[in-house]
Amino acid sequence: MYPRPVPETAHASRRLYMTLVGAILIVWLAPLFAVILTSFRSMADVMSGNLWGWPTEIAVVENYTAVFTQTPMARYFLNSLVITIPSVVGVLILSTLAGFVLARYRFPGNMLIFALFVGGNFLPHQIMMIPVRDLMVRLNLYDTTTALIIFHVAFQTGFATLFMRNFIAALPDELFQAARAEGATPFQTLIHVVVPLVRPALAALAILLFTFIWNDYFWAVVLTVSDDVKPVTAGLANLRGEWVSAWNLISAGTIIVAVPPVVMFFLMQKHFIAGLTMGAVKG
Amino acid sequence: MTAASSPIFAKPRNRNERNAMKSLELHRIEKSYGAYHALRGIDLSVEEGEFIVMVGPSGCGKSTLLKTIAGLETISSGQILISGRDVTKEEPGDRGIAMVFQSYALYPHMTVAENMGFGLRMAKRPKEEIDAAVARAAKILRITDQLDKRPKQLSGGQRQRVAIGRAITRSPDVFLFDEPLSNLDAALRTQMRVELSSLHAELGATMIYVTHDQVEAMTMASRIVVLNRGAVEQVGSPLELYRNPGNLFVAGFLGAPRMNFFDVTVDEVSGAKAGISAPGLAPLNVSLAEGAALNPGDRATLGIRPENIRLAAGDAARAAISGKVRLVEHLGRETILYVDAGALQCVSSESGTGNITVQVGQVTPISAESPVSLSIDPHDAYLFAGDGQRTVTARKASHSNQTKVDTI
Amino acid sequence: MTSLWRRHRWWLTPTLLILPGAVLFAVVILASSVQSLWISLHDWDGFGPMVWIGLGNYRELMDDPQFYVSLKNNVIWLVMFMLAPPIGLAIALLVNQKIKGMRLVKSMFFIPLVLASVAVGVVFTWVYTPEFGLLALIFRAFGANAPALLSDEHFVTFAIVVAALWSQIAFCMVLYLAGLNNLSEELIGAGRVDGARGWNMLRHIVLPQLTQVTFIAIAVTVVGALRSFDMISVMTRGGPFGSSSVLAYQMFEQSIFSYRFGYGAAIASVLFVIMAVFITWYLTRIIRAEERGA
Repeated sequence: MYPRPVPETAHASRRLYMTLVGAILIVWLAPLFAVILTSFRSMADVMSGNLWGWPTEIAVVENYTAVFTQTPMARYFLNSLVITIPSVVGVLILSTLAGFVLARYRFPGNMLIFALFVGGNFLPHQIMMIPVRDLMVRLNLYDTTTALIIFHVAFQTGFATLFMRNFIAALPDELFQAARAEGATPFQTLIHVVVPLVRPALAALAILLFTFIWNDYFWAVVLTVSDDVKPVTAGLANLRGEWVSAWNLISAGTIIVAVPPVVMFFLMQKHFIAGLTMGAVKG
Repeated sequence: MTAASSPIFAKPRNRNERNAMKSLELHRIEKSYGAYHALRGIDLSVEEGEFIVMVGPSGCGKSTLLKTIAGLETISSGQILISGRDVTKEEPGDRGIAMVFQSYALYPHMTVAENMGFGLRMAKRPKEEIDAAVARAAKILRITDQLDKRPKQLSGGQRQRVAIGRAITRSPDVFLFDEPLSNLDAALRTQMRVELSSLHAELGATMIYVTHDQVEAMTMASRIVVLNRGAVEQVGSPLELYRNPGNLFVAGFLGAPRMNFFDVTVDEVSGAKAGISAPGLAPLNVSLAEGAALNPGDRATLGIRPENIRLAAGDAARAAISGKVRLVEHLGRETILYVDAGALQCVSSESGTGNITVQVGQVTPISAESPVSLSIDPHDAYLFAGDGQRTVTARKASHSNQTKVDTI
Repeated sequence: MTSLWRRHRWWLTPTLLILPGAVLFAVVILASSVQSLWISLHDWDGFGPMVWIGLGNYRELMDDPQFYVSLKNNVIWLVMFMLAPPIGLAIALLVNQKIKGMRLVKSMFFIPLVLASVAVGVVFTWVYTPEFGLLALIFRAFGANAPALLSDEHFVTFAIVVAALWSQIAFCMVLYLAGLNNLSEELIGAGRVDGARGWNMLRHIVLPQLTQVTFIAIAVTVVGALRSFDMISVMTRGGPFGSSSVLAYQMFEQSIFSYRFGYGAAIASVLFVIMAVFITWYLTRIIRAEERGA
């Protein structure tokens, strides 16, 4: 192990080391703590400029209630769920199917298709903004959640297929031969052998995709304008324009946007890290 | 596996009716990957109930051949018949075969019972039928109490049994085994070898078994198919192949330690006898087979198995070869000597040094660097002509009181 | 029908399985990217007919001072983002200890990675707010007045990049932690026996084993730098006076706000070329590594 472990018996050194790390962590997360603390402050404190002193009252409930009742935040939040969940499911299905074929079938063009999936990943998405926006306008989908779902599924399928293909290709070849020898059709093999075996990869991918799609801002502002379809990210940016200095409310809104991915991360940390590093290592 | 008389798993079909039908027929199987010729015109006909072992060095095409029978690999040309039915174009699952893989290929996410019933489940058979088939196979293999476990919880030998059980559940016309014992340790391998043989006796099913281990081939096969470079070298019962190898390759492949080979010249041919000689070797008269087509002056290869060379104690005059012992290996049951015979070099020898390998009795008071005289009985000699492509010495009786099979 | 299906199943099934993903990806992602190049040769307001003007948009771009500001800012992003891998490695080394509580500490360090960039943008806007922000608080502690970073055209890009680095560093740290877990214990042991420690150990024993991770960290960081858009949009909208804009943002602004889609597409094409250079470098590195490995 590198660096050399702090010896287990040296209790004092260990405590000192942890204190040091803790101090660095506080500096690291200071911006976040500042926002969390601000979201607890009352409007009176914010208006009078008391942003760092002792709060005159704790207004957690008021602030968060205000965000949900006086702004369309609840609507944005719902929109985000409506966009994110079907997108994740769609990507998981398409990428498992495509990854299975790319990993298990040799056919002319296999490598080319794979390379296109990989290469498409690297494109800065701004490049396709104008045609995609135009496409959605022509399909009469502009300013709908469907437009965002279609785009996210299409874009993330590139990365996800790469991910699933590598995972499925690493499964032992003989398992597939055995399934074939026992008369399983390719589709039965996919359902009864591949899917159960790639469950960890699917979990890792699902949490990654959830984070990517939930956090998307660019496509939200490109493809949506109305409050009825806007996700939380675009919504938050809107609110910031409206409440120029109501920092307590802006902070509360920020926390609301940040919570779902953070909660997902803490619930499925192992999968998240595994997915991120595996996708990165293979890609 | 219980006694061979167990009636539990009699084949469902009437055996007499099918006796005339071959269980498996291969007609001129060819397979090439681009310029590489993996299988060259393979013909084979297997009777029902036979245990066929395919052996050969790695890369000889034995696993490829097995996979083409299974349908996991396509063939370039030729025909495959299973139980009289042309299955050349059929999917593996429709061919009436079951396969046991080298790595067992058990599905890690299924229990033992689910693994064994997978094929029937895919064929959408009723649950009772699947359960009955699994229970029957589990009983034969004595893994009934393991049925709810996952493969990960099993030992290597148990996994092997599950893999075989999975094959049995499908009641195939032909069982295919792809080096199934190579992942087991030596002790377990011997045990499984015996179990597989008795399983074969019990089921009476046709089995095709691929291995590179000649001990497995000799002990289990009713017939051995020796493959080399994608072609069949020889087919026959183990002892037949051992006693009467059809060519130099088969002679060299079967038997441990390996047969000694020497380059010799044919001096004279008279009737069914030929006189041969080589530098360092006393002239030898061997009996020829009919149609040997050998002429004086031909180059040929002489083959002698290590156990057929004897120490000619002190009698240098009667000795065929004299030389010096370079190395002695005491194996307890036998002693292996590596003898340097000067001008008489062994070609492609066991030790790679040109030394002659001699296998002698249990305790031989002989040490390295001592001079020895070796004698050869011409009846034990093999002569290979035409670049080793054909054996020209007379056939030897296949029955012999000498135990040829190494049982380790 | 059934027999037809059975006979052709072996190739029909894989084709049907890959088709939805491949078609969707090809139409929405690949075709759009190519179409962008085509649009860049036209004058187009996004609604009416497209008018062919050849390289007109590119000629105009060459004379557009804002283009050079954006390009310069892209370079600043790229260069400053290169701090992410070393800082990420440093934090990874710091927390790569098996001490009680360290697991939680690691998770806390990861948090910026999962925050939406919009959220990070808002958080740092708050940090940089003159008079009230965290930065102002710190400056006041030293008796100084904090500059209004986001309205100062000299500092604004740096301020935004620092915010963006926050999550990029966390990303690199995750990668390095995974790399540190895969170090060969035997090589480390051999190094210790040979007397390597501290910096020497890192330089000669540890970093060579992390080459692959470093390569990926750099790749991910470059892509991140070139994709930068969200933070700029949230924190400054390219301001003040376009001084914090980058190519991606300028393209967005020209298209969505000024309805100059052809011109926007031309900017996107420039971004595409920069990216293509990087992708080529990346792919040749990978291919060479594959060849060496094989």
